[in-house]
Amino acid sequence: MSVLSQILPGTGRGTSEAGGGGSPLDVTSVEAPLHPTATRRGPPPRGGEDFRIGLPSTREESWRWGDPAAIAAAAELPRGIALDAGEWFLDLPGARAVFVDGVLDEGRSDLRHVAIVPIDGGSHALGRRTTGLGWSLRVDADATAELIQIVHIATGGDNQLPAEIVLANGASASVVETYVGAGWSNRSTQMMLGKGAKLTRAVRLLQSDGFVSLRDEVEVGAEASLIVTVLGAGDAGTRIDGSITVTGDDAFAEYGGALLTRNDQRQECAVSVRHAALNGQSKQIWRAVAADKSTASLAARVEVARDAQKTDGVQSLRGLLLQRTATVNLKPELEIFADDVKCAHGATVGELDQRALFYMQSRGIPHAKAQALLTRAFVGDAFVQITDETVREAFVADADAWLERALSAPLPPAGGVGGGASS
Amino acid sequence: MLKIENLHAEIDGKEILKGLSLTVNAGEVHAIMGPNGAGKSTLGYVLGGRPGYEVTAGSVTFDGVDLLELEAHERAAAGVFLGFQYPVEIPGVSNVQFLREALNAQRATRDEKPLSGGEFLKLARGQADLLGMNYDMLKRPVNVGFSGGEKKRNEMVQMGIVNPKFAILDETDSGLDIDALRVVGDGINRIMRAPDKAVLLITHYQRLLDYVEPDFVHVLADGKIVRSGGKELAQQLESEGYVGIAA
Repeated sequence: MSVLSQILPGTGRGTSEAGGGGSPLDVTSVEAPLHPTATRRGPPPRGGEDFRIGLPSTREESWRWGDPAAIAAAAELPRGIALDAGEWFLDLPGARAVFVDGVLDEGRSDLRHVAIVPIDGGSHALGRRTTGLGWSLRVDADATAELIQIVHIATGGDNQLPAEIVLANGASASVVETYVGAGWSNRSTQMMLGKGAKLTRAVRLLQSDGFVSLRDEVEVGAEASLIVTVLGAGDAGTRIDGSITVTGDDAFAEYGGALLTRNDQRQECAVSVRHAALNGQSKQIWRAVAADKSTASLAARVEVARDAQKTDGVQSLRGLLLQRTATVNLKPELEIFADDVKCAHGATVGELDQRALFYMQSRGIPHAKAQALLTRAFVGDAFVQITDETVREAFVADADAWLERALSAPLPPAGGVGGGASS
Repeated sequence: MLKIENLHAEIDGKEILKGLSLTVNAGEVHAIMGPNGAGKSTLGYVLGGRPGYEVTAGSVTFDGVDLLELEAHERAAAGVFLGFQYPVEIPGVSNVQFLREALNAQRATRDEKPLSGGEFLKLARGQADLLGMNYDMLKRPVNVGFSGGEKKRNEMVQMGIVNPKFAILDETDSGLDIDALRVVGDGINRIMRAPDKAVLLITHYQRLLDYVEPDFVHVLADGKIVRSGGKELAQQLESEGYVGIAA
């Protein structure tokens, strides 16, 4: 409960229009709470209750591929010892926060401009369970926040944590989150980008067991840029619920990543991007790789409101089956009410190109390594938008580590020709 | 070096090779010519170890080793190179990465030490230069966006880098203009014309043989070698066609 002492001042609670309605965002101040009615509400009881109560049902369309039973099972994993956070931080300067079972570990954190405040998790079935103390990043107009790295360590049981990122006009921030350990980690992250704000967020899901559920809600203001990249490369179940609304003209929103599943694991993502303003651009580039008897599911939706003319949307969902016992579900959806828009979309599921495999083998590359190289190339499409080289290399390394486990084949260093001898 | 005896092979239950025998000694260049559907490419794939091609009878030994018992990548490490009629595009894997992997995997299979990045780049640049290939193309994904001629040139660069003992070149001349044909022909001679090496050229046409002079020419028809001779046989085929000779 030491977290209570970490509540920092500076989160004004005046009424605010921020986040309401469909009007373009204009965030001149980062003082206003995102959910003005609820910030004083204390955290709901955490632990002790029946987790199954209120969990979504697979009868709901958005949960048709979901695995609520896995959430309940993850929440009942016995608590153990927290992993060392150090190895999960990337070698980059900036703020660092370690949350152990959703509670800030002050000793290992250097919060700088991140605050711990009460946050409302919203109304989403899973997100609302996070309501309580969470981390908050608010960046003033035209300011650039240092990189923020957050490591979430789960030791077992369930843990809930809300978060908010509010960027005033012209502000920019970059966040890297890493999930490790075991248990049910449930997160709600509300993001608001004012005019011309820039947010990049990279999320590595590396828990070895249990379940990670992410609820992301984003409003993207005029001329703002959002880039979110998620990699599911652990052995836990995953549910990603993304809801992005482009509320200002000339904005850019990219939300994509890769889900890598093996054994009997299930990972899924349901994301929707709603264009409610002119000249918006959005990208949803997702790659799913499924091995063994696992299932990876992607449901991606683009909505273009009647007034959102000149929208340019790109949606690319591709699945790769490493064995025929695996499953990839893809559900691309477009709902377009404007008449002057461009929405490219593609959805394919297949196996590795047998011709390419043989071509590589005929040059001396063993079958498993050829599979690994081709799969790495396939997954790499989902990481190209990560501009920070260290972060992108970490994603590639995470994916490589997964491939080595799934295919039992060592991989050479990415890029191939740098550095010393390769195996 | 290579001894094929009474080779029968089928794909999807359909017999394509019907008792093919051929011996290639070190220092020799053999050309296999024949009409469409004769089994020329199948021979290349069977020797290369492509999945889906089932050998139902016969044997292939390479330097005394049963080639058919080896996995495709082991055949490469043993010194067999298969030049593809249609080189495959591999998006997302750069040429240099692919080639360094290939070379070092072969070296690992032969219990040799891997080449360092620097050593490899020097070798790759050298081969690319010799074949008139822009070094930037080595950094691009394998064959992606390459023209037909560039792909074939890339095959020769690969052959130069892995430096095989025995090369099976499947219609390496198709899709090449006159200048590219000369470059590729020179490449084959430079890399493979040696007393301890041998080449099996699979081709439709005489024109590559103007640059790479074969010691023996064989006509393959309906899964068997129906006629063998010297280089003059290729000229005879060119003027008379397969119909009379293969019948």
